[in-house]
Amino acid sequence: MTSTPRAQPHLVVVIDDDESVREAVPRLLAHCGYEARAFASGLTFLASPDLNEAGCLILDVAMPDMTGPALQSELERRGHSIPIVYITGHASTSIPHDPDWDGPKHCLLKPFADQALLDAVTRALTSRRS
Amino acid sequence: MDVPAPNPHAVETDANPDRVSDRDDQVDRTVEVIPGPALSADERGRVDAVNQHWSQLTGLGPEAAFGHGWYDAAHQDDDERLREFWQARVRSGEPGTCEVRLRRGDGHVRRYLLRAVPQLDRDGRPSRWFGQFDDVEERRQAELLLAGEKQLLEMVASAHPLPEILDTLCRLAEESAPGCLCSIVLIAADGHHIEHAAAPSLPVTFTAAIDGRAIGEDCGPCGMATHLNLQIVATDLARETRWQDSQWCTLALRHDLRACWSTPIRSSAGRVLGAFAIYFTEPAAPSQVHQGLIGRFTHIAGIAIEGASREAALRRSESFLAEAQRLSLTGSFLWRINPPQILWSEQTYRIYGLDPAVPVTFELVGTRIHPDEAAWFAALVDTASRQGDDLEFEHRLVMPDGSVKFLHVVAHALHSETGHIEYLGAVQDVTERRRADAVLGRLRAELTHVSRMTTLGALSASIAHEVSQPLAGIVTNAGLLLRILGDEVPDLDSTRESAQRIIRDAHRASEVVDRLRALFRRAAPSSETVDLNDATTEVLAIVAPELQHTGTTMRTDLGVDMPPVRGDRVQLQQVIMNLLLNAIEAMGTLEGRPRAAIIRSGHDAARRVWLSVEDSGPGFDPAHADRLFNTFFTTKPGGMGVGLYVSRTIIESHGGRLTASTHSGGATFTLSLPAESNHPPPNLPPKGQA
Repeated sequence: MTSTPRAQPHLVVVIDDDESVREAVPRLLAHCGYEARAFASGLTFLASPDLNEAGCLILDVAMPDMTGPALQSELERRGHSIPIVYITGHASTSIPHDPDWDGPKHCLLKPFADQALLDAVTRALTSRRS
Repeated sequence: MDVPAPNPHAVETDANPDRVSDRDDQVDRTVEVIPGPALSADERGRVDAVNQHWSQLTGLGPEAAFGHGWYDAAHQDDDERLREFWQARVRSGEPGTCEVRLRRGDGHVRRYLLRAVPQLDRDGRPSRWFGQFDDVEERRQAELLLAGEKQLLEMVASAHPLPEILDTLCRLAEESAPGCLCSIVLIAADGHHIEHAAAPSLPVTFTAAIDGRAIGEDCGPCGMATHLNLQIVATDLARETRWQDSQWCTLALRHDLRACWSTPIRSSAGRVLGAFAIYFTEPAAPSQVHQGLIGRFTHIAGIAIEGASREAALRRSESFLAEAQRLSLTGSFLWRINPPQILWSEQTYRIYGLDPAVPVTFELVGTRIHPDEAAWFAALVDTASRQGDDLEFEHRLVMPDGSVKFLHVVAHALHSETGHIEYLGAVQDVTERRRADAVLGRLRAELTHVSRMTTLGALSASIAHEVSQPLAGIVTNAGLLLRILGDEVPDLDSTRESAQRIIRDAHRASEVVDRLRALFRRAAPSSETVDLNDATTEVLAIVAPELQHTGTTMRTDLGVDMPPVRGDRVQLQQVIMNLLLNAIEAMGTLEGRPRAAIIRSGHDAARRVWLSVEDSGPGFDPAHADRLFNTFFTTKPGGMGVGLYVSRTIIESHGGRLTASTHSGGATFTLSLPAESNHPPPNLPPKGQA
């Protein structure tokens, strides 16, 4: 983890259209030792150099320009396989029908406990390495 | 009176040695002055004088006629009758008349009326008889003709089959004009051909050859007569030059027919319907008498043919009507009240499922009336039979197979001058329409419910999402704050920042709640005086279809002298409707016990007005009582639970309370509101100026 920082990026990218989340979550992650950056939409993330650095995404499901699942499939289309932790404010999420998306199983319901988010991020980064 | 010149008869009577000559002279003279055939006989009925008219008529001179010889003048069939009549006069001494056919000298037979009159002696006994003959042939002919016409017209009136009527007509014509053979042809439905209708005495080979010929001048006398609308007379077919192309004359002559007169038969409006033809086996020209007969027979034939076509048209329209009744499921009826009589159309019998052969009575109708409506129906019949007002009502039948029919009945009362009442009415089977209405009503209710749920669902989802965002920020910041505080050297700036953000996000969440509140009171609640009972009655009218199709009975026990409340009438009615719909839904699953709810209202000493809705549904778990009014709590699989939350919000905004209680037989929701006189507070302007 520390031997070759560049080869094992642990940048955590937060993508959410809500400002409260964009501010609070990166600060929590930073306090816990992660490098974190926030984007207000999937499109700005795709256009940024951080696209190649991201080790894990914390991704809101419902966003106006591009939904979380839409960003996920776009990333897959471009050959980026970045582990994703979904977060959502909808109790019964109305996600576009996508058989590959395994739904709210890996989805944290807002408001989520800080530890639950950290555990999910740890699992995501581990899955990336394994 | 002039004394006639001496005549041979007198001379001949003089030759009778039994006679006193001056008396014979007197008798002869008396007989001779009678202006028609006459004779005289002695007291024993033996003829001893005849006049010249007699001799000329019968060809029987005095010698042949005297004694009983005059009987020979009678037609052989009438001879015996004549003898009996004459002997009866002599025996009884009474005068009398007798109709008898006499054979004329030229062989023709005519009818005469014989009047027998006795001459009485001083003792009043007949000393001599006089007989006078009046020619009644023409009168008899006219009478026979009249009787025949009457018979024909009766046949027309009683709708005998047309061929039978026309056949009778031909026979009557043949009787009226001896020696003739009659036929009738009609114009076929296509208007271009003639068809054989009647010809009782003509050879079938002839009529068959005529049948179906095209109408026109060459077709023969009948085709020509119908074509030209003119009488066509052919007095001698052997010398006839017309109709050569069609060989009609050859055909007629082959059947021994030598003369034919064909006359068009016209309708009352003058339209040609066919032709009446008279044939003779000898050459013949129509006399005035013939023309008279022809005129009368074609007239009657016209009436018969028109009547038959009217009859057919009537039958067609009757069957059309019956078909229309069958198709529209509408029957008709006539109800005569006194003397009681009910007449039904075929379709009415079909609707009631009763045998058309059985006379209708109210007892019979009663076997079909829905038991729930039997008393009502009896009362309706009773009122109608006394008052005679027009009727329009719906009622139900229960058929023998248990199925239920809905009927719509309309009846118009006809009042006769003598005070009798008759109802003429129609009864329509509206079962399908009622079923469709019920289905439609159910669909509408479901749609309303779905759209209500959809709106509330979308609204609540949106609320949940909006609130969850700042909450996520708050929870995350608070978690971070705790973590910083747990550090060995807490970064105070960071904790401050986290705390500030928590406060900011909490305000954001609070803004969402404010917006939600604003949404519920979006239309600024109006403030008016509301009678809760009136408001409830109006809502009941709105939910009536819902009650009907769910089979729910909603009883009311509304308080009297209830003080009004002040508030938004529409909002309060929304609450009441919500409570009623909840009650209906709660009882939706009940089987085997009545779906009955009761609405009560009243007011208490504290001047609070209350209204409760008590259902007989499954009730709810008392442990959930507090949560019933939570925004998203529901015990119903399809419900969102928002209804009660909104209801409580509305009631509380009116300064009231909405509470729920459960008991063994269901749930009760009670709202209470302050009576208006407690509001406005004394320091505000009195009501009416607000």
